[in-house]
Amino acid sequence: MNPPIERRKDRARASGLTRRAALVAAGAAATATTLAPYRVFAATPQGQLTWGVHVSLAPTWFDPAETPGLITPFMVLYALHDAMVKPMPGQPFAPCLAESVGASEDGLSYEFVLRKEATFHNGDPVTAEDVKFSFERYRGASHDVMKARVAAIETPDQRHVNFKLKTAWPDFLTFYGSATGAGWIVPKKYVEKVGADGFKKAPIGAGPYKFVSFTPGVELVFEAFEQYWRKTPGVKRLVFRVIQEETTRLAALKRGEVDIVYSIRGELAEELQRTPSLTLKPVASPATFWLYFADQWDAKSPWHDERVRLAASLAVDRPSINQALTLGLSKLTGNPIVPDFFDFYWQAPAPPYDPAKAGRFLAEAGYPKGFDAGDYYCDSSYSNLAEAVVDNLGAVGIRTKLRPLERAAFLEGYGKKSLKNIIQGGTGAFGNAATRLEAVAVKGGVYAYGSDPEIDRMFQEQAAEMDHERRTVILRKMQQLLAERTIFAPIWQLAFINGVGPRVGQSGFDLIQGFAYTGPYEDITLKGS
Amino acid sequence: MKQYITRRVGYCLLSLFLLSVTIFFFVRVTGDPATLLVEPGASEADIAAIHHQFGLDKPLWVQYGIFLASLAHGDLGQSFYYRTPVMELYLSRLPNSLYLAAVAMALSLLIGIPSGVLASVRVGHFWDNFGKMFTLLGLSLPSFWVGLVLILVFSVYLGWLPSSGAGTPLHLIMPAFALGWYFAAAHMRLTRSSMLEVLGSEYVKLARLKGLPQSLVIAKHAFKNALIPVLTLAGINLVIMVNVAIVVEVVFAWPGIGRLLYEGITFRDFPVVQGVVLMGGTMIVIVNMVIDILYAVIDPRIRLGS
Repeated sequence: MNPPIERRKDRARASGLTRRAALVAAGAAATATTLAPYRVFAATPQGQLTWGVHVSLAPTWFDPAETPGLITPFMVLYALHDAMVKPMPGQPFAPCLAESVGASEDGLSYEFVLRKEATFHNGDPVTAEDVKFSFERYRGASHDVMKARVAAIETPDQRHVNFKLKTAWPDFLTFYGSATGAGWIVPKKYVEKVGADGFKKAPIGAGPYKFVSFTPGVELVFEAFEQYWRKTPGVKRLVFRVIQEETTRLAALKRGEVDIVYSIRGELAEELQRTPSLTLKPVASPATFWLYFADQWDAKSPWHDERVRLAASLAVDRPSINQALTLGLSKLTGNPIVPDFFDFYWQAPAPPYDPAKAGRFLAEAGYPKGFDAGDYYCDSSYSNLAEAVVDNLGAVGIRTKLRPLERAAFLEGYGKKSLKNIIQGGTGAFGNAATRLEAVAVKGGVYAYGSDPEIDRMFQEQAAEMDHERRTVILRKMQQLLAERTIFAPIWQLAFINGVGPRVGQSGFDLIQGFAYTGPYEDITLKGS
Repeated sequence: MKQYITRRVGYCLLSLFLLSVTIFFFVRVTGDPATLLVEPGASEADIAAIHHQFGLDKPLWVQYGIFLASLAHGDLGQSFYYRTPVMELYLSRLPNSLYLAAVAMALSLLIGIPSGVLASVRVGHFWDNFGKMFTLLGLSLPSFWVGLVLILVFSVYLGWLPSSGAGTPLHLIMPAFALGWYFAAAHMRLTRSSMLEVLGSEYVKLARLKGLPQSLVIAKHAFKNALIPVLTLAGINLVIMVNVAIVVEVVFAWPGIGRLLYEGITFRDFPVVQGVVLMGGTMIVIVNMVIDILYAVIDPRIRLGS
């Protein structure tokens, strides 16, 4: 009773699911034509690659059910597990364990057909029951949002899964396929046998690499899963070593103790760039940074005046800051919230640096000598950026005191709306323009201290709009209004700078758009192999 | 003596109880760990689920009661971040910390004591001035800076030593030196002052008057007595080295207890912080108790006075 794939494609297009149409188009036929050669010509995995990782690896990352809305755990998920659909090179929603996906005309149902050859590391096939089980046990980021909207999951046979929604939800695939871990599949029988804690100790997935060992906070080791459906991985063994100190990571890379390092910034990135045997690999991350004028919703505050907010934006010398801190590799898109590769992105005008004009705006607003603007809050990890912006603001007369807060305290204060004056915000969360705007610019948003009624109305309008084109128009208009009213001042879309050693062939950086880490792991190679 | 020991054990238990209260409540002042375990801007329900999972939704005194009850069974709780028993984590890191501390201590004594003796017998001369400079640098240079310089010179420029990690004796050299230098300076200073005090004492003067050679006076009569406070300090320093080599362990990615504590603080992992601090405190309390008892054995005035 499943409609033919082409018909489903047409339905998806008719529903306005442009990106999803690409997904459906890359279904069974594409799999047969483009992926089969990998299997024919795949060589035996060889050698070892070692990563110098900047964060402490956690066993919760071995279980997709606990995926938080942060990008970091996907560093592990891409090796150990596989998803029904996930971002892959050239495809934001590439069919993986699902060989095809179709959406019904009314947007109330999504049908996934599982790939025959997909198996878990223990040899069990990936079944519809595993898919249903994985979704139901998912308790990570946005699980409440997803579960509230899914009415039922039907599994008519071992290869077909139908998600029935309560109401049409245009962002279903965004959440299921990229923004959460709900679409990453675990083996039901095994999880039930060993329990959630047992699973974290000895995880089994359907990804290109098998779990070998984990020493908490020290090292994680994977080995190639040669039966991986997409292709046999090129490298036999992957080792992730936790090296939290940035300078030590770079030293380890220089000595060849590790082959790939994450997160090298500022002067160290310059040093990396100068070293002939090493390669600097910046990745355009989805992390956007902005200034938020928290007091703008108070009519008595100077920030209520749009000219004052615009003056602050004009005062920020973004190119110089970008050059000094990220070697000019971050993007100055002008869009404070939405990264340039997200769905529904609106290209804002380039953010100018014009301190003279900023001074004029301040004078017009009644502050010819500037004013004491109170506190400038930031996550202390980015206090170097904050220092530069505070200097720029001070140069035009907007005098602020820098208040760097430890990350958790900053997020807590921002979310509870207890921070005041100026907040240097930022997010790297997956999703699309709608999910980003919802959090920061719409009434009730976690980080929205106030909102514009027109923007609120448009947000509700787009949430019910199934036509992709019409939705795009609304969401772009919202971004335009935010820019015109200077509700935020953009800073940059951060470049995540990494380093690669001489042994690495294909590093996997920047293959998946917006993915800060290496991947897909099965594509990574050693030089000469 | 028995009464004295009983009293000392009682003080120790009281100290540990107070430490457990202090660390339990102070660590909770740092904020809500759920903030770091969920996505930024997670729903109240998500945060409540985390609180429930880790028992953080219970009243503080109930949480403390559970903590104490578990402690009585040798259970330090489960790490919020690693989802592993803290005792398991601690014991997996302890050998590395002991190993590092032992080598660092050996280095610090090998450097600190001879240079302290040399400085005390050549007051105002080159070795004394050199020793003062060494002490000044050792006590004032931050160990992270020393560590980074060592990495730069011996790993990057010379390529002699691995920059980080553990596994071979070569991995140990730089972290042990970075950790040991501060203590070498402290031991050198104490050895010098202790030696100067002993060298000025009546019995040393008498030995000299008797015509004993300078080397014998220093080695046999002065050095032995001057060494007592140095070794006492070294014993306590060894425990400190095991527990607070945070900076050195992070810089060299050394998998020890200090790094575990750092990770615990970073992630507001209450059970890890509580566990590491309590275990460290227990070590210090026990070492002090043993030293007190040994003093009492050696010098009866101490136990009688008390």
